[in-house]
Order: sequence, then structure tokens, then C-alpha cells
Amino acid sequence: MINLNIKNSIKEASQVIGKTWPLYSFVTSNPLSGYEQMPFEIAIKHAGKHLNAKMFPETSLYRQAWEKGDIDKNQLLKLLEEYQLSESPEYYLNEMESFKTGLYKNKNHELDLIMAKWLSAFIDEGLAEWEMPNKNQGFYKAWRKLAAYDNDIPKLHINDIPKTSTEALDELLKNYSKADYTKIFIAHLAALPGWTGYINYRSNSNSEWQQAYPITLQDYLAVRLWVAQKIKAEIFPKNDNELTNTAITKLQLTFLKAWEKSWQNKLVNQLETKQIETSSLKNQTNISDAQLVFCIDTRSELIRRNIENKGNYETFGYAGFFGIAMDYENLNDGLIRKSCPPILNSSYHVTEVAQENKLNEVEANKQKNEVEKFKNYFLKRMKNMLPSAFGYVEGSGIFYGMSLIARTLKPAYFYRLNKKNAPDFESICEPQIEKIRSNNHNNLNIPLEEKVAIVKSAFDLLGWRNFAPLVLFVGHGSHSVNNPFGSSLDCGACAASPGRHNARMLAKLANMKAVKQALKEHHHIEIPKNTIFIGAEHNTTTDEIVIFDSEVSNTQKEALEKLKFDLLQAQQTATKERLGAEINSVALAQKKANNWGETRPEWGLAKNAGFIVGPRELTKNNNLEGRCFLHSYNWEMDESGKALEGIMQGPMVVTQWINNHYYFSTVDNQVFGSGTKITHNVTGKFGVVQGNGGDVKIGLPLQSLMSSDSEMYHQPLRLSVMIQAPLTRVTEILLRNEHLKNLLDNEWIYLMVMDPLDKNGVYNYGKNLNWKGAHKHKIMNTQKVNIKIDAAQFA
Amino acid sequence: MTVKNSNLKFVSKGITAILWLFFAANLIFLILNFKNIPSWEYERIIKINGFTILIWTVVSFFSALIRSYSFNYLEGFKYQTKFSLISIGFTLSILLFVMSNHIALLIATWFFMGFFMSRLIGVDSKWGEAQEASKFAFKYFLVGTFFLSLGLLILAFQLDIFTLNNIIDKVDDLPKHITLISALSIIIAAIIQSAIYPFHRWLLSAMTSPTPASALMHAGFVNGSGILLALFSTVLFASNTLIILFIIGGLTAVIAQFTKLLQVNVKQKLACSTIAQMGFMIMQCGLGFFNAAVVHLILHGFYKAYLFLSSGEQIELIKPQKNPNITIKPMQALVVVLFGLMGAFLFNYLTGKGTDLNSGVFLTLIVAITVGQVTYNIVKEQSLSVFQKAFLPPALFLVGIATYAFMYNAVTVLMSDMPMVAEPLSLSAIQIVFGAVFLVGFFVMKLGIYRKYPWLYVKLLNISQPSKKTVLMYKSK
Repeated sequence: MINLNIKNSIKEASQVIGKTWPLYSFVTSNPLSGYEQMPFEIAIKHAGKHLNAKMFPETSLYRQAWEKGDIDKNQLLKLLEEYQLSESPEYYLNEMESFKTGLYKNKNHELDLIMAKWLSAFIDEGLAEWEMPNKNQGFYKAWRKLAAYDNDIPKLHINDIPKTSTEALDELLKNYSKADYTKIFIAHLAALPGWTGYINYRSNSNSEWQQAYPITLQDYLAVRLWVAQKIKAEIFPKNDNELTNTAITKLQLTFLKAWEKSWQNKLVNQLETKQIETSSLKNQTNISDAQLVFCIDTRSELIRRNIENKGNYETFGYAGFFGIAMDYENLNDGLIRKSCPPILNSSYHVTEVAQENKLNEVEANKQKNEVEKFKNYFLKRMKNMLPSAFGYVEGSGIFYGMSLIARTLKPAYFYRLNKKNAPDFESICEPQIEKIRSNNHNNLNIPLEEKVAIVKSAFDLLGWRNFAPLVLFVGHGSHSVNNPFGSSLDCGACAASPGRHNARMLAKLANMKAVKQALKEHHHIEIPKNTIFIGAEHNTTTDEIVIFDSEVSNTQKEALEKLKFDLLQAQQTATKERLGAEINSVALAQKKANNWGETRPEWGLAKNAGFIVGPRELTKNNNLEGRCFLHSYNWEMDESGKALEGIMQGPMVVTQWINNHYYFSTVDNQVFGSGTKITHNVTGKFGVVQGNGGDVKIGLPLQSLMSSDSEMYHQPLRLSVMIQAPLTRVTEILLRNEHLKNLLDNEWIYLMVMDPLDKNGVYNYGKNLNWKGAHKHKIMNTQKVNIKIDAAQFA
Repeated sequence: MTVKNSNLKFVSKGITAILWLFFAANLIFLILNFKNIPSWEYERIIKINGFTILIWTVVSFFSALIRSYSFNYLEGFKYQTKFSLISIGFTLSILLFVMSNHIALLIATWFFMGFFMSRLIGVDSKWGEAQEASKFAFKYFLVGTFFLSLGLLILAFQLDIFTLNNIIDKVDDLPKHITLISALSIIIAAIIQSAIYPFHRWLLSAMTSPTPASALMHAGFVNGSGILLALFSTVLFASNTLIILFIIGGLTAVIAQFTKLLQVNVKQKLACSTIAQMGFMIMQCGLGFFNAAVVHLILHGFYKAYLFLSSGEQIELIKPQKNPNITIKPMQALVVVLFGLMGAFLFNYLTGKGTDLNSGVFLTLIVAITVGQVTYNIVKEQSLSVFQKAFLPPALFLVGIATYAFMYNAVTVLMSDMPMVAEPLSLSAIQIVFGAVFLVGFFVMKLGIYRKYPWLYVKLLNISQPSKKTVLMYKSK
């Protein structure tokens, strides 16, 4: 019987490690999510110690920010004074720099090596043709059956090893007190945080691989501790009493805060100037030629700006899964992938069915996929088997030689030639929504009300009143080749899948006659007869927008042609701006998308620093440099605050995850990121290790964060959220949502509110709902003090 | 800083262009002067012939390609310039190696090939494990150079001749024990370079080098042994040591191919594949077909460079799969045998290998089985139509064998002024026994019998682990 104390201790200890996501659906999550209940300052102290990680930007990054003026001098001086630090910034920069780090030997080298060997062999997801024997019995039992043959550990007989992981742990820990369990577990889990994080992921997601080949943290600990005891490695961690230099930490935090505050000030200035400019234009109600809804992703800002100035177009920001909590079954490979934020449970299952009169095409497509699948299997078989491996190399070598030349010298040409961006089966199929299959529903059809609710909630969250003749829902996806981190560039809100299918699905639902009817009758939302909703996808590498218009009638096609033309213009100007290339910027982008030697095909969400919730008027014509997530919101249409609450519970938390991931991957790229791409070694079809092996890597590579090994691209700043809404409304939402308030109180993110009821004055959130005016002349009014007192009473 | 950077880029692009031009010039020269390429000597130090130009073409191709690839791939890498310089050093070493006639130059360039390659493995001087891997590999290469020096100096001092072409002409005059020691030393140097068992571990520990360096290593360094053995074929014949090459190469080919099956890291998997392919190449040498070995090292270079440069493509979600069904219907078996025979016949006809009953039979056999495997996989695939099943296998083996034969014949002509590089041996009992071992290996793999032996799994897993000091050795703080 499992000792309950052991079980609880494992659970407690596992908070120390995060989740390692597989690279085929890479979620940029906070590696310190287990610490979110603690204040940021405390959390990084603990995590830094357990994971042996740097928790603040390198001094060289501070210096770059300081020299470029990104850390505002006055702001820094002010903060230094606040913390009673009286020397000059230069002095402190030098002081931080003098605190050098270096290499030292890993004292658990043998043990870590043995564990990494067995973990990588067991967890493999299909890379090896010959998988570890007895894998289906679970990690502990499979290892136990092989351990006797392993000459990395002293000779033993299988019966020397306890039969189950429970027995093993009971036996190994019998001489330790319960209080020591957690300490032991933390040390051994944190020794290989990548692998243990992946075990964490596997057992939480219960993926097909986990079902077939189960592995748990308990298994891991049992094997590790048993081997440790056998090779006489340390079980109970000796107290290193490593001194964290608190003086340096204080400096680092001060510089970080000054940097963050400088950025916030800049943003507030930008938005406030804007307020003055546009206030006169308010209440215009002309209808645009097209409305385009983009993901809140930071990359949307640039393309939105470039589309808006091409014609009479309106753009919006909405979470890129378009409010449909779905799993998507891909027609080409038959695999089911999650296509909504990982913090949501999927309730729908979306498949593809043939469009009217397109059955034959779909059949042909299916045939093509089968042949493609066979081709891959065939090549693998030829390469793996004896002696065909030798014959194959001799027969095909010349063709590999030709491919080498083609792929190295002419990537952009082959990108266009293969029409990599053209619609695939989307032009012959349409998405079909059903209930999720795992819940034993008899009837998979979903009722009309649910479909209406999905559409209505999109309109609500967007704060929509009028409909243009063309409404495009534009998901986003990225194109890159030879890139293990390809999925990290896709849509984060769709669990690292391209967002096109969610967009197509929402368009289809919104186009349904019955849905339109219901919206009109029950919700007073009238969609004009000539309005059509169309799914599309923004290719974030090339800024091309592919439109899935195979079902658009001929009369509407004409209007669409004009839009398509303008989108091509937008692609030109957007790539020009983004890549800084005066000529042929589109070809350059295409080259990046298809060059197998390209380690920076695009920048993903790097540079993210802010999340702005409000109408587009707030930010329009402002170059935000792709640093902000933008969510549309109209406070006037959301009296109940429900829409805002939804945005804060969903998108705000997701953006915090993304932002924290970028922060930690930047400050310690080896521990929280994945180091440089140029020495990556793909393991098990789901992850990468560095060089010859070791721990599987957790987060983004250096090339997603830095312009060179030393030059910063992403600025590691905590997320600043800016909401345009009445202050009272935001306060109420925070009071209702303890975990959101915690994130703020613990300083994982910053919140600023632009209160339209108070002449758009900006207020900064302070611990325990202490709002402070961004400018000195604005002080909290008494009404807000009352709210604070109320809050205290609530608690 | 930026001016310096843009200057560097300019220079770097210039060097890349020169390499591409050098490649093109060599290729054009080969095509224009095919069949009567002049041999050119300078002062007993340098000798350039058809074989030299052939290897120059190949080496300049890979060097230029790797440079073009690295231009983007290594953008922003702290040691990009260092990487570039070491690569140039490495390229020059091979170019010089294949034009060396004086054995001092030969030994020196062999040493520098290893030296520069170990520097590429440890190009990141701040990375502890990379430094360990670099040292580890360098030790192997030093030992390799030592044995090469030993093997050549024995010959040189015995004959009192220091030029390659004169030594290999006079080998037959030497006493047997001298050629034997010399041949064994050369063989050791060769198999260290090719990471043949038991000298394989340096290659499995060399993934600390940036991906393009690995491509260069697997396409242009490990196969240096094929060149070396071809140069000294007369020594091997005189000492009767071909059978050693045959056995070591053959065993390595089989073991490494099994080891490859259980690798979970892409680059180690490719390394095991390289070891197997090098084993096969050494085996070809052991059969007397040094020309076939040279063809193999070139074609394998294309293949492996491609797989390394695209090694980031292996991330993919798939479903856990059951082992494939391996039954076959009688009719299908007949087609497999038929096509296999046709393939063998075509191969014999086009290359002239294995028509008589000699060691060439092995190579023909491998072709026949490969064609059989191609056919087998295609005819049992349900998504293909009958038409496709009938025409796909012959189309594939026709193209495959024809392009191979083209290469083989071309290389044979270019190597025609070298002694004893295409000398089939008469079949010996050892060869036949070992041929049977090879076939057993094939069936064990084909039928999946190996899966029944967990101990074998662990043994192969352990022999294919990288050197311990090159993994998880250091932490930084």
C-alpha cells in the first residue's frame, strides 16, 4: 500500500518543476506556474535555488537597455532613491557585472546520466524503431526488467529490486522522517527538470503515449532513488547553504522595475496623446468595407495597421481560437489536436466534411494522403533495414545531392513553386462541429442555442454594433522549415496549432441562417442580408493572408477581389516594415519561411510587454512596434462587466503565461529556455536536448529571443495590462476572482486602468486594490477608497 | 563594430563564392577531360591526378554548401568567425591530403584534418561538455595519426623512399612482416577515422559541434578512411589483410545498423547510421572494390549531409504504433524474387561487377535484396493500385541502379591510373561464412527477432552512449 505521506510529498514537491510541453504543440507557459501563489520576489528566490537558475536579466542586457534609453534615467534614479541606493546607475551596473558566474562539476553526474539514459529511452514517442522492451508495463517495471543487464550500475539480480515503485519508495525512505520526504523529492525532481516536467505533462494530459506507456513522477523517483542507493550517490541533499547575494538581487530587481516602469510611462504617454487627437472623431458610424478580426497576438498589431491604411477597413482583436473550445481532427493525418487555450477544457470536436459536390475531390485527397503516408513509411523502412540501407544510399545519393543544392540556394523559389501557402483541403471541405467524444454523449449534435451562444459571445466580447458586407475571421499560423520550434510560432490561443480552422468554424456558424435568425429574434442582433463571414489565416512569416473563400457566391467575390488586392499591398508594406528591407521584402520573407538554414524565420511573440483591452480607437495609427497584445473591448456595451471578466479570466491569464515564459527563457536560456538551436539534437520526436544528450529542454531557444548570442531582441519585462473601463468595474471583477487579484498582488503582472468615467485618467494597480493615479496630480477619489474598504469587509 | 561586421560578412561571402567557383571549375575540368586527365607532379611533394580532382570536386562541394547553409544558420553565433576559419583549415587539409605525394605532407595533413575537426566539436569554448568532447575526439585522432605515421614510416625507411607513388609501386619488394605491420597500422588509422567499432565512441560524442559541422564531419571527415585505403591498396594486397577489413567492416555494418534502431536522439541515430555505412564502405574495400568504396563515400556524403542539415524536421506527433505485419502472399513473393533478379542482372550489366564468381557477388547480392525489399514494401501496400505496384518497383530500381552505375563507372575511370583499386578477389570460405552471417542479420532484423532479447537492447544501448564526460558534466552558476 502506498504510504500516503509519500504521495502527498511527491505532490508538494512537484510544484517546484513546471511542465515541459512537447514541441509538436509547444505552449509558452510560465515555468514557475507552481509558484504563482507566492510573490514574484519570493518565488524567484526559491526557484533560483532549486533549479540552479538565474532569475534576472544578465547585466549586459540591463546595460543595453540603459544605453539605449529603454531604462529611463529619471525613473531609475527615483527608484534607487526609494531603495536608499545612493550611488550612480553606472556604479551599480559595474557592481552587478563584477558578480561573475562560472562552471562547476555536477556532483550527481553518474546518477543524472543513468536517469537521462533510461528516461529518454522510455519516453521516446516513435523516433526509435526498436522501442524499450516491456514499455507497456510502465516506466518502473520496464526499467526493473532491464536493470540487471545495465553495466552502469553494480551487478544485481532482478529480485534485488522491489516489484513496484511503491514498495521501492517505502523501502528506500524507511529511515527518513516524513518531514524529509519533500526535501528529498524536490532535490531529485529538480535535478532533471526537463524530463520530470515532461512526465508532469504526460500524466496531466494523459496523451495516447501516456495511455500506452504510462510513466509517473513516483516511478521516476523510485528508480532514481533506488539507483542512487545502489551506486552510493546522495539521497538526502546536503545543505549547500549557497548564499544568494541579496545586495545584488536588490539591485537587479530595482533595475528591472525601473525598466518596466519606463516602458509603462511610454505607453501611457502614447495612449493619452492619442486620446486627445481622436476624441473629436468619436461617434462616427460609417460602415466600413470589411471588418477583419485578428488574434490578440502581438504580431497582429503590425498587419492590422498596414491593412487599415489601405482602405476603409476596420480591424479587431479577439482570442485566436475565436471562442470555440474545440479539438480539431485533421483530414490529412487523422490526428486529433487541441485547438483552444490549454487552460480550457475542450467541449467540441471539429472534423472536416466534403462540401456539396466535392465528394470526389475529397476522396482523391484521401488517396493522396495514403500514398504520402506510405512514401514516408517506405523511406524509413529502406533506411532502417539491412541491407537495403546500403543499397538505398547508393541508389538515392545523387538525388540527395541535388536536393542539397536546391534547398540551400533557392528556398524562396521553391516556396513559391510548391505553393506552400495555398489552401489545402479547405477548398473542398467544410468544418463540422460536434460534441467532444470522450464524454459518452449519445447524440453528438449540438443544439442551436449553443451555436448561437458561440457567435453571440464573439460579438459581445468584440463590442460590435455594425456589420460590414465582408467580415473576415483571421486566424494565424507560421511557416518555417527544419524548425523544431515551429509550433511555438503558431497560435498560442489554439494550443500551438494554426488558427485557421477555428476561424473557418466561426465563420460557418455565423453564416448559418438559423443562427442569424435566432440572433435577431432573441438577442436583437441584426446581421444585414449582404454580410458574409469568411475564415482566413494570417501567415506570420510572410504576412500573406490566405482566404478560405471557396463557398463565397459570385456576387460577393467582386468585393472580395478588392480586399484581396489591398491585402497584397498590406503584405508588401508590412514585410517591408518588419524586415527592414527596401526591396523584395516579400521574397525575403518567403526565403525565411522555406530556408532550412534559417534559425530566425520570424520573431513570434518576442518583445511582448503589454496587453491592451479597449477599442481600436485607443491605439489606431499608433506604432506599438508589435509589443502589445490587443483585445477589442467596448466598455459602453458591457454594462454587466461579464465580457471584461471573460477577457481577464481567459486572454489576460494566457498573455501572462506567454509573457512569463518569454521572461524566464530570456533570463536563463539554458535552464528555462533551450539554449542555442545550432547544437540542438531532437529527441523522441517531441523535444530537444543539447549536444550529446542530457536533460530535455523546456522553453524557447536563444534564436527566438536574442538577435545574436549577446544582443537582446526580446526585453524581459513583466506584462503590463491596460484596460479601458470604469475603475469600479475592474475592481469588482478582481474582488470576484481571487486568483486574478493574486497575480497582481504577487506582481506577476501589472495592471493599469484607463477610466473613461474619469476623463480617461490612468490608474496603476497597487497591492490590495490600492489604485494610484499615473500622474501625480491624480489622487484616488474617495469613492475608490470606499471600494477598498468594502473589499476588506468582503475578505 | 558594425563596420567590422559587414566587412567580415563581405569577406565570408567572398570565400563562399570562391569555393563554389572552385567546385564548378573542378567539375567542368572533370567533364571536359574525362578519360584522359593528365597527371601532374611537383618536386616529389605534390601529385595531382584524376582521383585528386574527383575528391577536390566533392570536398569543395561540401565546403561551399556548408558555408552557404551556415551563413544564415550561424548568424549571431559568438564563434561564427572561429567556426569559419576552422572549416577553411579543415577543407584545406583535405585538399592538400589528396594531392600529397610526400609522406610527411600526407601525415601532417591527416593530423590537421583531425585537429581541425576536434576544434569544430569544441568550437564553443565556454561550454564544458563541448570541451570534453573535443578533447575526447582529439585523443582518438592523435592515436590515428600515430598509427598512420608508424605504418608509413616503416615502409619509407625500409625502402628509403618518401614519395607515395614510389612506395606503393615497390611494396612487393618488402618482406611480409613489414607490409603486415604497416597494413595493420594503416587499417587502425583508417577505422579510427571512420568510427568503426571499437573506435566508434568519439563520433557518438561529437554532437556538441553545430549542425553544419556535423554534416561536414559525416560527409567529409569520417570517410577519409576510404580515400586512405584506396591510396594504399597495394600494401593491403601485399600483406593479405583485406580479409580483416572485410570482417571488421561487415561486423560493424550489421551491429551499427541494429544499434541505430534503438536510438532516440536524431543525431545519434544518424551517427549510428554513418558507422554502419562506413562499415559497409570498409567491407567494400575488403572485397577489393576500392573504387566502389569511393563511390559509396561520395554518395553517402550527400545522403548524410542532407539528413543532418534537415535534422530539425523530426518533431512530429504520431500515434503509438504496433509493429508492422510482415506476412507475404506467394504471388507477391514471386514478384519480389523476380524483380530482385532483374535488379541484380541490371546491376551486373551496367557496372560489370559480380559477373564472375568472385567477391563482387556480395555487392550484387546486396543490390538484389534491396530491390527485393523495395518491391516487397510496394506490392503489399494497399493504397497503391495494381498498375502502381507493377511499375513503381522497376521504375525505382532502374533509376537507382542507373544513376549509381553512372557514378561507379565515372569514378572507376578517374581512378584508373591507381594500382589495385578494382581487384575482385576469388571467393574464400571465410567470405562465404561471413556472407551467411550477413544474411542471418538481415533475417533477424526483417522478422523482428531481435525484439525478443531485452539484454541485447541494453548492451546495444550502452555501447552507443556518448562519453560520460560529454553529458551533464557541468552546471553553471
